[in-house]
Amino acid sequence: MKTVSKYWSIFQITLINSLAYPGELIGRSLMIIPFMWIFYQLWKVTFAAAGAEVISGLTLRDTLWYLMLAETIELGRPPIARTLSENVKDGSIAYILNKPYDFLWYQFSAAMGETIFRAALNALFGGLTVWTLVGAPNHPQGFWIALPAILGAWILHFCVNAMIGLSAFIVEDVSAFTWIYQKLAFIFGGMLIPLDFYPNWLQAIAKALPFASAIYGPARLFVTPTLELLINVMSLQIVWILVLSFTLAFIYRRGLTQLTVNGG
Amino acid sequence: MKTLQFLLAIWKANLQSALEYRVSFLSQMIGMMVNNFIYFAIWIIFFDRFKDVRGWGVGDMYITFGILASAFGLVSILFGNAFMLSDVIAKGRLDYYLSLPKPVLLHAISSRMVASGVGDFFYGFLSYALSGYFSWDGLLRYVLALLLAATVFAAFLILTQSLAFWFGMMNNFSALALNAMLTFGIYPITLFDNYAKIILFTLIPAALMGAIPAEFIRAFTWQSLSQMLIGAIGFIGLAVFVFNRGLKRYESGSAIQVEV
Repeated sequence: MKTVSKYWSIFQITLINSLAYPGELIGRSLMIIPFMWIFYQLWKVTFAAAGAEVISGLTLRDTLWYLMLAETIELGRPPIARTLSENVKDGSIAYILNKPYDFLWYQFSAAMGETIFRAALNALFGGLTVWTLVGAPNHPQGFWIALPAILGAWILHFCVNAMIGLSAFIVEDVSAFTWIYQKLAFIFGGMLIPLDFYPNWLQAIAKALPFASAIYGPARLFVTPTLELLINVMSLQIVWILVLSFTLAFIYRRGLTQLTVNGG
Repeated sequence: MKTLQFLLAIWKANLQSALEYRVSFLSQMIGMMVNNFIYFAIWIIFFDRFKDVRGWGVGDMYITFGILASAFGLVSILFGNAFMLSDVIAKGRLDYYLSLPKPVLLHAISSRMVASGVGDFFYGFLSYALSGYFSWDGLLRYVLALLLAATVFAAFLILTQSLAFWFGMMNNFSALALNAMLTFGIYPITLFDNYAKIILFTLIPAALMGAIPAEFIRAFTWQSLSQMLIGAIGFIGLAVFVFNRGLKRYESGSAIQVEV
């Protein structure tokens, strides 16, 4: 119980900290507005050119709400890889290691604390923009059904980004890995184009990868909240969370053996 | 001439400094090229399914993405500090440049190189080569369009970042403006109505960095050339004017600082 309350406190502290600069928080979240506007332009023209109300089971309205949630998940997450790699490179990891908490759980609690308001504001501005452009979502209750999958998505993002950050134990600079991961999430997660619009063979590959569990799954669940989809999304997500968290723990233990801290 | 010699010396020093960490430099350069390729794959998937957007096909996207990447890369390589200018102004770090007998703006923006920009710069050429529109005279137009697009982009950065003279820390606004410029620059211009196009030529001159240069590269027209020339001269003139006006308001932070 004590262990949980320790990390809960870390979560709360970062949550409150993230409100310390409201201007910064709001300013960053405004970015979603031009993104949603341009998506609207693109998909409005595309649906009109296709002469169809529904493409691969999604209407224009569904597509826009899908993209809003996908962007919220992506823009809401803090730069975990950069934080961890800086911890490793500048040696500040040493200050956390000698404290009575686990380094990875500490980073996870802090990252989740940072995520909540970021994501909430992105959802607010993105939601208002999409609502103005295409109207309310067809299934507003879908948000609550998708909520566990959104939390699962952030856990997945944390695992992958923490692995990238910890690769600083071995390489000098991790930024290239971060860009590539982000772009793989774009393409295999269905961040700019819903995976349903992909050719069948690519859909099959993309839907089996963790990127889809981190973006496509929750976003699709939001626009089509069925029990069958919920079970599919959550079960695949749990498998990936287990695989990636064990891999992360393994990489972390191996990395620690290579750590050299000079001075203090 | 003296200014050019000074710039060449500073660019050489920046390159030597970046090459000091060779593995990091190479990983950033190659990583950025791979990153761009993966991002562009999304457009290949899109056009494979939907064919074109009001006459704008995947070949057009290759050129637009290419020129945008090269222009972004060129500014990152030669004037990498332009991305941080608002930070330099707000934190009182212009003192260093003001105390030296060199043009303040040029010195400030050229004193840093972003290594990943090299990857962007070369990726752009590769993207053009793959567009299906490649020709040798087109390549010459590509180089000319690149210089003009990079001028507009650098001017846009200086303009938006110089607002820090009036409003202090502008990190969020700068990031928002930069993202808007790149996002609107990449998307097909045929998506936008006339009102939006006015914005794309003025407030966020993304059309002068993406669509218009792409049009000029595909086929020479006096119209696109004059649009780019007027845009580049107009924006750089405005950027220098705004920076110099802001500089008059600049107050030193009297902070002790070390420029590395």
